[in-house]
Amino acid sequence: MRSRDTALAAVVSLPVYKVFMKKVIVLLLFLANALFADALDSLLQEYQSTTEKSLKTVNEKLGHVVIYSQQELRMMQYTKLDDILKELPLMSLGKNQFGSSSPLLTGSKAVSGFFRFFINDYEISSAYLQSPSLTWGNLPLDFVDHIEIYYGDSSFSMGNTTGIYFVRIYTKSAKKENGSELKSLVSSNGSNAQSFIQSQTFENGWSYLFFANTSKAKDDVKYKTNTLSNDENRRYLYADINDDTTKINIGYTDVKKDLFAGMSLDAAPDSGKLKSRDYFIDVTKHLLEDKSLKVNASVGVNERQYEEENAQGMGVVPILDFSNMPASILTGFYEDATFTKTNASLTKTFQYLNHNILIGAHASGKKYDLKKRTGVNFFGQKSDLRQYNNFNKENVYSLLFQYDYRATENLILIANAKVDKYQRNGYLGDTSEQLIRVGAIYTPYENLGFKGFYTRTYLPVSFYNVDFVNKNNPNLKSQQYELFTAEAVYTHGKSKFNLIYNNVTIDDFIYYTPVGFINVDHAVKTQGLILNYEYALANTDKITLNYFTSTQSEGASNYQRGGYVKYMGNYHKVDYFASLIYKGSFSYFDVHVKDSFDLSLGATYHFTKDFSVSLKGENLLKKSTESVYEEAFGIPFSLKTTPQRSAYLSLKWVF
Amino acid sequence: MRALTLFFMLFSFSYADQYTFLMDKYDKEIELEAKILFKIATVSTRGDITLFIPEMTPVEAKVYGKFFTLTPDCQGANFVFVNKTTTDTIPCNASGKLFFTNNYKKLLSDRKFFGAFFWAKSRPNIVFLKNRLAVQNITLPQAYDHYTEELDVP
Repeated sequence: MRSRDTALAAVVSLPVYKVFMKKVIVLLLFLANALFADALDSLLQEYQSTTEKSLKTVNEKLGHVVIYSQQELRMMQYTKLDDILKELPLMSLGKNQFGSSSPLLTGSKAVSGFFRFFINDYEISSAYLQSPSLTWGNLPLDFVDHIEIYYGDSSFSMGNTTGIYFVRIYTKSAKKENGSELKSLVSSNGSNAQSFIQSQTFENGWSYLFFANTSKAKDDVKYKTNTLSNDENRRYLYADINDDTTKINIGYTDVKKDLFAGMSLDAAPDSGKLKSRDYFIDVTKHLLEDKSLKVNASVGVNERQYEEENAQGMGVVPILDFSNMPASILTGFYEDATFTKTNASLTKTFQYLNHNILIGAHASGKKYDLKKRTGVNFFGQKSDLRQYNNFNKENVYSLLFQYDYRATENLILIANAKVDKYQRNGYLGDTSEQLIRVGAIYTPYENLGFKGFYTRTYLPVSFYNVDFVNKNNPNLKSQQYELFTAEAVYTHGKSKFNLIYNNVTIDDFIYYTPVGFINVDHAVKTQGLILNYEYALANTDKITLNYFTSTQSEGASNYQRGGYVKYMGNYHKVDYFASLIYKGSFSYFDVHVKDSFDLSLGATYHFTKDFSVSLKGENLLKKSTESVYEEAFGIPFSLKTTPQRSAYLSLKWVF
Repeated sequence: MRALTLFFMLFSFSYADQYTFLMDKYDKEIELEAKILFKIATVSTRGDITLFIPEMTPVEAKVYGKFFTLTPDCQGANFVFVNKTTTDTIPCNASGKLFFTNNYKKLLSDRKFFGAFFWAKSRPNIVFLKNRLAVQNITLPQAYDHYTEELDVP
């Protein structure tokens, strides 16, 4: 027995039977129509549930993809982006010294721009860190339709930034929402969040979606005799205005938060605050009758203010002077900086027989504007610390070529190439980088598929890397990556098995040492394996098992293996789920981190189609993951990422 | 080699409800839209349906073509589905044709449409306007009554 859709597609592709079969289908539908006029209701339901599977935007040619559909986001009660990031394989979600969520590659606590985050076409990653922005981090998902996560560098058609993981967040469609929604969430740990969405479609075809959210999070951790506070208030505003060919996205977010461990030598600041504000506008226009010409332009600004005071001293690496320690250890640090990024791109696609070609040009600029940076040292002397170095501007110009060829009905060959030219001011010279990627997707049978890519890519140095560089060797080079990835999929009935393997070699790996960032002087190698099994019990009910393991040529400073079991289901008016996320123990110097088991359970009761109440328990076993930190000059310790067990109650009203 | 052939043959006998990789652009949503529109068109018209969609995309032509006889111009059609926002005016004589839209506001303001298939509050909806059905002499089965609205529009 073959699946109905594929069978239909196969039949239609045979020209001899095409006309005959069309008549048969039309006749059958006509008869069905006459007999079951009310079947339109079930068709509408099927249409809604198909739409909520969120498969319309998937591009298999971009890498190995994991989809979090609208249905899954809703039924599993994923309310924040972190809820998803913490279960993804070959990575873990840590908490950095400032208390912000920080996605980390498996086995390593290094933060060097591996992860790229996009809301629709706009990259929300920080211009300073090249990794998730502090302000956009832990995004509420109320306005999100679905999320696609691509493993392997897929930067070719997504802006001119490179990375290893690409997280594409698609916002809800104004045309499909076409209404208003209020959501309120309270937690037993004192956190709360409120969201409002309004969307409308006009007669002229333009539509808009507006989203507003305020979130208040309570998060305190005990460390020695101190309580490290990580309380924060966040606000988000988002607007999507579009018609068939134009899309305008405007975003704003700000955060005020406590410093957690900050830069204090005893990992416990006396006082301090971190304020950050982000705003952007992104415009995309599709031109020509077949919409094959795409123009995109965006401007984004991040304003960041940081204040920290600690009588026990702070280790601010860029100004530490080991020959004059007392004078270079600060007791007060104040900073005000603005980062601006601009982007423009033009891409054109061509289709000729079985050949698809995309050519494009990108230009982007990043600016680091320091308004204030002052410090007070142990002797009470105030000093203007100014810029740590003379690198504060970067322009990148890129040309890209993307080609795929459908060699046969079940074989696609892929070849990508890209050239990036970096112009940097200051002591870092201009550089050129090349990316290449070749791959193939082969499905010899309907239920068996293979996919593989060989990629040579790089990660550029960021403002952050250069600010915190080892001063004895400040000429940081970009990290060179060679990736080989392979995937096999087998489906049988309602089961789906996935196996993904990766083998990565990194030259000039950028690593943070107690004296700052260095290029590691030898190749770093890592291999990983992901096993995934999915069983679709019914239309929405699903069970998923996942396990990953990895090896690194260097010692582990983070989780190297893990997995999860997830179950979601529906009975009449109730949606329910269970999730257990496991990360395996590791040791880093004298820090021994135990196995982590993060159990969540939840249910949603739909009183009507428009009003529902949800209850969720999180970290029920109180065995959450731990993050590794360093005290004084490189003395490591670990703290639980989520120390408390929490219950969440949320109400949703659509009108 | 024989073992390998046998191994792959085993896969060919297996059946699957799930997909492996989406080798083609996912068009199941459009297929369901086409099925829904086919149901609407069948109960609204007598005889064969010839469909015209202004500014039809190649994917729509492929999918709708499975259910309908398509025409590249409005004149040859007896059922017109306006689902593009850029189409302000349709250069087409409305007589003898039925017009359907995917925009509720367009339905309310333009009297040539007798119904709409659109989204509201995150759910797909179908609405037929009672007075327009009467004007255009369309009789729907009773099972479609809950899709019919009696609004004070011309």
